[in-house]
Amino acid sequence: MGRLKVLIMALAVVFSGCSFKSTEPPNTLHVYVSAKLKGLDPIYTDDLYSGIQTSQPYETLLQYNYLKRPLELEPLLAESMPVLSEGGKKIVFRLKKGVFFQDNPCFKETKGKGREMRAEDFVYSFKRLADPALASPGWWVFEDKVVGLNAWRELALKSGKADYTAPVEGIKAPDPYTLEIHLTRPAYQLLYSLTMVYTAVVPHEAVEFYGKEFLNHPVGTGPWQLAEFNPSSRIIWKRNPTYRKEVYPSVGESGDKEAGLLEDAGKALPLADQVNVQIITETQPQWLNFVAGKLDALSIPKDNFSTVINEKRELRPEFKEKGIQLRVTPLYDTTHATFNMVDPIIGKNKYLRQAISLAYDQETFNDLFYNGRAILAEGPIPPGLSGYSAELKNPYRRFNVSKAKELMAKAGYPEGKGLPPLEYATLADSFYRQTAEYFQKLMEPLGIKVNVTAYSWPQFLEAMKNKKAQIWEFAWGADYPDGENFLQLFYSKNFSPGPNDGNYSNPDFDRMYEHSLTLPDSPERTALYRKMVDLLVEDCPWIFEAHRIGFFLSQPWFKNYKPSDLDHRTYKYYRIDTALKK
Amino acid sequence: MLAYVVRKVLSAVPTLFGVALIVFILFNTVGGDPTYQMLGRHATAKQVAELRHEYGFDQPQYIQFITYLKQIVTFDYGRSYATKQKISDMILDGIGPSLSLMIPAFLVTTLLSLGLALLVAYFRGRWIDRTIVIVCVFGMSLSMLAYILFGQYFFAYKMGWFPISGYEPMWPERIQYLILPGLIFVAVSLGYDVRFYRTAILDETNQDYVRTARAKGLSEGRVYFKHVLKNSMIPILTNIVIEIPLLILGAFLLESFFGIPGLGSMTIDAVHNSDFPVIKAMTTLDAMLFIFGNLLTDILYTLVDPRVTFE
Repeated sequence: MGRLKVLIMALAVVFSGCSFKSTEPPNTLHVYVSAKLKGLDPIYTDDLYSGIQTSQPYETLLQYNYLKRPLELEPLLAESMPVLSEGGKKIVFRLKKGVFFQDNPCFKETKGKGREMRAEDFVYSFKRLADPALASPGWWVFEDKVVGLNAWRELALKSGKADYTAPVEGIKAPDPYTLEIHLTRPAYQLLYSLTMVYTAVVPHEAVEFYGKEFLNHPVGTGPWQLAEFNPSSRIIWKRNPTYRKEVYPSVGESGDKEAGLLEDAGKALPLADQVNVQIITETQPQWLNFVAGKLDALSIPKDNFSTVINEKRELRPEFKEKGIQLRVTPLYDTTHATFNMVDPIIGKNKYLRQAISLAYDQETFNDLFYNGRAILAEGPIPPGLSGYSAELKNPYRRFNVSKAKELMAKAGYPEGKGLPPLEYATLADSFYRQTAEYFQKLMEPLGIKVNVTAYSWPQFLEAMKNKKAQIWEFAWGADYPDGENFLQLFYSKNFSPGPNDGNYSNPDFDRMYEHSLTLPDSPERTALYRKMVDLLVEDCPWIFEAHRIGFFLSQPWFKNYKPSDLDHRTYKYYRIDTALKK
Repeated sequence: MLAYVVRKVLSAVPTLFGVALIVFILFNTVGGDPTYQMLGRHATAKQVAELRHEYGFDQPQYIQFITYLKQIVTFDYGRSYATKQKISDMILDGIGPSLSLMIPAFLVTTLLSLGLALLVAYFRGRWIDRTIVIVCVFGMSLSMLAYILFGQYFFAYKMGWFPISGYEPMWPERIQYLILPGLIFVAVSLGYDVRFYRTAILDETNQDYVRTARAKGLSEGRVYFKHVLKNSMIPILTNIVIEIPLLILGAFLLESFFGIPGLGSMTIDAVHNSDFPVIKAMTTLDAMLFIFGNLLTDILYTLVDPRVTFE
C-alpha cells in the first residue's frame, strides 16, 4: 500500500511538473456551462447555454441595462431607442456608425479585415431566421408579425430555395444606417425579442465562406473573438481588438454602489482580456472546482446547498471568511403541472382540477426538492414581470386536503370513487421520478390513483404534444421580461404543438389576450394581464407550482458579478482583481 | 488465412444488417420524435410538418431504412440533429480523447491483473490468495460512481494531486487530466479481470502436463510462464479482445465527470436526445469493431494454440 501511494504521488509530481505553460493573461475569467453546446450560430440558440456563448461574439440591436432591475432596454447596435409610429406598426432604428465585424478570412475583399456593419446585414440576418431550409427554432420571433416575411418564407418553401435578394416589404434598409421594420400588427414585445441572440447580425460573407461549418466560426461585431472551441469540452474567448468603444454603465439600482458594482463605471468594455469557459456537466466537479478556486462563479448545486447556506438563507461563516460573495436573484420562471384540457375526464371537470391543485403541497415540495429556493406560484407570471401581483392569493393553491375532498365530491368523484387512474407523464431522471412519486402520494388522500410514465426528453415532448397523458410536469422560463410571454401559453391559437401544450381554450381569455397585444406597457395593459390571470386561477389549467430563486456564489476577486437569467451578454462586464487573486 | 478472413468479413454483412434493422426499429418506434426537440416549444404544427419533410421523417419507413443502409455503406451520416455538427468530425474529435484515456488504463489493467492472477494462482489457498480475492470482490462491489466521487474529492480536491476535471488537447499537458480517471478505470476493472484470469490459470495448473513438467524438475517460474500462461491465453485473449471496442467507445461516466470530450458521453447524449444519425453511426461503428475484434481473436488463437487452424 505504501509503495502504491508513493507511485501515485510520483506520477502526480511528474505530470504536474508538465502542466500548463500558462499563456493566459492574468485578467482571465474562469467560468463554466453545465451542458454541451449546439454550436455558435445565432439562429439555433434555443438552449440557455448555447445562447449565452453565442451572445459573446454576436450583438443585437438592443440589450438590457446590465445593472437596472426590473430589466430595462437600451440600445446596443442601435444608436438610440427606436422610433415607433403608425400605432406601433412601424419601428425605425438608427444604427451606430463605425461598428465593424471581427477580422476573419471570410472577408476576402479586405484581406481578412472586418468590414463595417450595415443595415442590410440585419435584413439578411432576419431572413436567415425565416429561411425554412435552416429550420431555426427562433422563427417564432417574427412569424406572423413582419409584413411580407411569411410570404417570403412560403415562396422559399415552394421553390425549395430561399431567395435572399428578393425584397421583404416589412424589413427595409433605406440607407446603410437605417433599418425599418413594418409589422402586421402592433407587437410591443418584439423590442424585447430584438435583444435575443436569434436576431443578432451576421455577415453574409461568413455564412457563405464557412457554409454549414458557420456554426463553429462565429464572426460578429461583439467584444469577444473565438480562440478555441470544442462543443464538448471548452471555449476560449479573447478580447476583440477591433471592438468599438462601449463603456460600463454608470447607473444601476439601489445597493449597486455599496456592492461595488459601479467601481468600473465609464470604463471601456470588455474589462477582462480572456474568458475560459469549461463545459462541466456534473455538479460535483462544478462544486469542487469552485471551492478550489478554479472557477470564478457558481450556481450552487442542490446537493451542496446546505454546506454553504445556513437556515437563514445566508452564507455560512467559513465561506464569508474567504470573501466569497452570495447573490440571490429570482429567476423568471414558473414550474407547473399541465392538465390535458382536451382529455374527457380532467379537461372537462374544473372541480377535479381545482381539487388536485388544492391537495398539492407546494411548500413541502419546495423544501424537499428545491432546498427552499422557490416561492409558491399563485399564477403563471413570475415576480418582476408586468401582470404579476403580490396580492394575488390563489384559492386553489392553499394546501387544504379537506376542501380538496369537498371539491372531489362536487366533481362527481367522492373519495375518488368512479375516477379511473390518472396518467401522469414525467422525465426519466431521478429528480422527476421523485417528484412524480410525491405527486402520487399527495393524491392518495383524495382516493386518486396515479399511473406514472417516465420518458426521455424527446419521448416526453412527443407524448406531451400528442396528449398521451392527462397531467405532465413542466416549466417555462421567460424569453423576455413581459407577462405576455407566460400568458401566450394559454392562447388558443397557440395550441399544441405550439406553446399552449395543454390546449387550454377560453374565448374571454383569447379576446383579452388579443387586445393586450395592441397595448404598450401601461397600467391598462397590466390590469388586463391581471384579469387574464384571474380567469386562469379559476379555470385551473395548470397547477401553478413555483417560481425558482437562483443562489449564486462568486470568488472575492471576481468583480461586477450580477447574475440574470435573461441577460446573456455579461462577460464583457466582469473583471478579475488580479492582486486579490494572487 | 486470407480466405478465412474474407469468409468472416462476408459473414459479418448479415450481422451488420441485423444490427441496422434492430437499431432502426428501436429508435423509430420508441426513441421519440426529435422534431419537437429540434424546433423548441414555440413550434407550430406547420413548422413541425415542414421540418419532418425537410429531414425525410414523413417518408415511408422502408425508404428511411434504405437511406440508412446507404449511410452505412458510405459511412456518411450527415449532421447531428441535436448539435448540427458533422458526425464524422464528431467521431474523429472524440476518438482521440477516448483512446488516450482508455488505452493506457487498459494496458495497465491487463498487465497488472495478469501479474496478480499469476501471483494468486501460485499462492492458491494461502493468505495472499485469499486477501487479494477478497479485495477484488470488494472492489467489484463498488460502483464506478463511488470511485469517481471519492477520487475526485480526495485525490484531486483534498490532496491536490490531480486536476479535478478538464481536458487539454495538447500533449503532454493532456496527461495530467487522464491519470486520475485512468487510475479509477484500473481500480474498477482490476477485480473482475484478476478473478477471471485466476480461474483461467488455475484451470491449467490442474492439467496433467503441468504435473509432468514439475515431475521433470522444471522450475515453478518456467512452469507458470512457459506452459501455464501460454495455455491459458485463449480465454485471456477472448477477454482482452472483447474489450477493444469498448476502449474506442470510451467510458461514459469517467468522461462525463472528468470533462473528457470522448465518444462515450457523445453516444449517451445522442441516445438521450434521440439524435438518430449519431446513434446510427455509433452503433454501426460499435458492431464493426466487435466483428473486427472477433476476427482478431480467431487469428490470435492460431498464434497461441497450434491446435487451432483456419480450416
